[in-house]
Amino acid sequence: MGNTEFKSDVDFVVRIAGEGGEGIISCGELFAQAAARTEYHVFTYITYPAEVRGGFSMIQIRIRDWMIYSMGSTVDYLVVFSQQGYDRTIGSLGKGGTVIYDPDLVKIEEVPGATFHAVPFSKISGEAVGGQRGKNIVALGVLGHLFSMDRQVLEKLLQDRFGGKGGQATEINLKSLAVGYEAARQAAMGCRFHLSAPSSQKAVYMMLSGNEAIALGAIAAGCRFVAGYPITPATPIFETLTRLMPKVGGTAIQMEDEIASISACIGASFGGEKVLTPTSGPGLQLMGEQLTLAAMLELPLVIVNVQRGGPSTGLPTKTEQSDLKFAIYGTAGESPRAILAPSGVEDCFYQTLRAFTISEHFQMPVIILTDQSIGYRKATVRIPAVSNITVVDSSVPCEEIDLPSPDRIQTTNRLEPSSEELRGYKRFKDTDDGVSPIARPGTPGGQYLATGLEHTEAGRADYSPSTHVKMTRKRFRKLKALSKTLETNPPECYGPEDAQIGIIGWGSTEGAIREARYLAAEKGIPVRHLHPKVVSPLPNRQIEHFLSEMKQVLVVEENYTGQFAHFVKGLFGARPIEIHKYEGVPIAPEEILSAIEKVAGILDEEDISRV
Amino acid sequence: MKRTSAEYKSSIKPVWCAGCSEYSVLSSVQKVLAELDIPPEDIVVVSGIGCSGRFSHYLNAYSLHGTHGRALPISLGVKAARPDLTVLTVGGDGDGLGIGGGHISHAARKNVDLTYLMIDNRIYGLTKGQASPTTPLGAKTKTSPYGVYEDALAAIPIFLAYDVSFIARGNIGDVSEISELVTAAITHKGMSIVYIVSPCRTFPVEGFKETVESSEVVPADHDRTDRLKAMELAYSYSPLYTGIFYQIRKPTLGDRLRDDTDRAQAEAGGKEVTIEQILQSFA
Repeated sequence: MGNTEFKSDVDFVVRIAGEGGEGIISCGELFAQAAARTEYHVFTYITYPAEVRGGFSMIQIRIRDWMIYSMGSTVDYLVVFSQQGYDRTIGSLGKGGTVIYDPDLVKIEEVPGATFHAVPFSKISGEAVGGQRGKNIVALGVLGHLFSMDRQVLEKLLQDRFGGKGGQATEINLKSLAVGYEAARQAAMGCRFHLSAPSSQKAVYMMLSGNEAIALGAIAAGCRFVAGYPITPATPIFETLTRLMPKVGGTAIQMEDEIASISACIGASFGGEKVLTPTSGPGLQLMGEQLTLAAMLELPLVIVNVQRGGPSTGLPTKTEQSDLKFAIYGTAGESPRAILAPSGVEDCFYQTLRAFTISEHFQMPVIILTDQSIGYRKATVRIPAVSNITVVDSSVPCEEIDLPSPDRIQTTNRLEPSSEELRGYKRFKDTDDGVSPIARPGTPGGQYLATGLEHTEAGRADYSPSTHVKMTRKRFRKLKALSKTLETNPPECYGPEDAQIGIIGWGSTEGAIREARYLAAEKGIPVRHLHPKVVSPLPNRQIEHFLSEMKQVLVVEENYTGQFAHFVKGLFGARPIEIHKYEGVPIAPEEILSAIEKVAGILDEEDISRV
Repeated sequence: MKRTSAEYKSSIKPVWCAGCSEYSVLSSVQKVLAELDIPPEDIVVVSGIGCSGRFSHYLNAYSLHGTHGRALPISLGVKAARPDLTVLTVGGDGDGLGIGGGHISHAARKNVDLTYLMIDNRIYGLTKGQASPTTPLGAKTKTSPYGVYEDALAAIPIFLAYDVSFIARGNIGDVSEISELVTAAITHKGMSIVYIVSPCRTFPVEGFKETVESSEVVPADHDRTDRLKAMELAYSYSPLYTGIFYQIRKPTLGDRLRDDTDRAQAEAGGKEVTIEQILQSFA
């Protein structure tokens, strides 16, 4: 079976643990970034303490020579700065693991088969730079030596992060790095993994969080206007865009609340810009009224909802997939919109590009539904061929626009009226696919009224039954046209076609389901996996086909009520087994595997009983 | 060729109550736009909900009739994205000081280059006579059958406290004054508010008409950059002053965004960074 991508020669986990404020996360991120400059894939997982300083903090980095779908279950290399860091992580050390610890701060108990290296990070830092600020970089140097990393790669990273040579912070860090390398050399540390950078200077991978991938996707799509309001866990999207937008000639504005943010986006979209506003569930709630205004004015608009645990303030720093129905149905009245759910960090980039294509083409709001787990997770992402970004003509049908991929990115712009169409211009002209040309302010003769009241094709307010029926149908016809487009896309389906057990998931659970599928295959249980990226409107025929092929289907999602499963039951009459997780942390492959095994056991019994 | 007010009339015939002052404000704005020679296609008018929300229907421009209270942030988005356009925001006392009141301070902080016409009739007229934030204490309305028990908001002092960079009050009884104020507001660089006192004929609020009729123009020697003095004039109810209370020059949102861009692009020698460079910076 096509299981080769799960087997790999290089696959190990490094964890750095200690107290908040010790620079643990930045040490880990620098190490991960340096590793990303080698030819390996990198995947990080971070636990922040609730406090700014103090409290348990750790970062876990998995490095592998093939795609990585989860954070890994046991630790191979453990670096601990504090007793708490040691006590809370030593249990995760895998067989034959290595522990590097500060002997002045940490008391250890020997673990059979494990290797222990004592490196007094604090003392070394104190002697080299006269304080504790260098100790995380001393640790970085130790890791650099351990994995045979080129010191220049790390030096360059430090300069990039802390400013060029000569700056005080950079000098302290460079010195700390050097003494770290030396300490590891003296302790004769080494291992079988060599993370040396390739000779070519041009990087192949970026190291991105899902939130950053969305910000970059927006820029690549041609979005040049962002308005937002900080909200965990979506804030990094907004922070990234406030930093980058002015660099690319765009605008990013912090507004007074989410209502003002979406309002400003509506204004800018009316002005002709591609716009985005990032938020989380509570922010999306506030945006509800303006979301329907955008639908009524038929303006393109992309909203990102990085879901957190709810309801209300709920679990701001934790993950959940509980806003699906709200994203699809929330708000008064009936209006079309599309919902996209990226499956991982890299997919955040491509689904954002796709969101802009759908939004601009069909002139409707698109909500990108991610969650805290992919928003904050960092992973290596292949740098796409952006020199190949082409803007296809706005008259090209949506199904003829390629889905964005690392090799080819097509974007599109909204349809504008021709000079002929401007004569007796009807902004909301009722057309075959519901899409009507939209005049950009400044265009002579394109002046029109866009009102949230029900209106005629010409834009004039009209409450008559015939107009409401006609225009409701016009708006929803765009959704039908989008559905048609989805059916022509390749199905987002994986695994052997002869499998009897099928799993349907959406959004960030993709990696865990995929890994569970590989694990099941190793145990001789073939599993097929459907993972739609557009979750509203759904690719109906693809789902129907999938359901008809499977003997038993499981629906995996991170919420209490089974929101996606509800569609599978209600729209397709299926009776899936529902796997819900709502602990605020992502579902693990093993949890899915155990459900698969149970189902497989039942199916076997059924087979026997049939005989 | 000289432009005429007729060019700024949309094909939709205005419908307000007979004798409503909205008609005068509309024709005054159309006249000013013609005099200022601003092409209709370069004008965006954004209105909220209420009697004055209909303003956008009747002006030949790129017109957006949005939701209740959000005309200001929508206008901000238009102007930030398209600094080349002239942006007019229109709304009433309920739209601007009630549901949308929270947006004024933030638009003022950014000094968005737009003109906000706030037409105050001290009542929710479109919905047939409920109390608004400016309905005076004790006034009987449909939602205050025994008299309003809240204090009325004083709009001009609020705008002054927020440091809106142009603040004027117009009296609907004097259309030529309104035209002058609207002209000054549109030509002002930065956020301008023309607050028009405009008693409702259909749902009259006790004493409002008399107050308006006794208004006086701000003293000719008033220093428009003196915020404290302006505040003193703004708190006078008898006489009720009209005219320009306050006008200062400070960076507009456009200026601020340009500076921000310059700072952001300084590293790259004042040039835009390419997408490729951005992606490489994450490697």
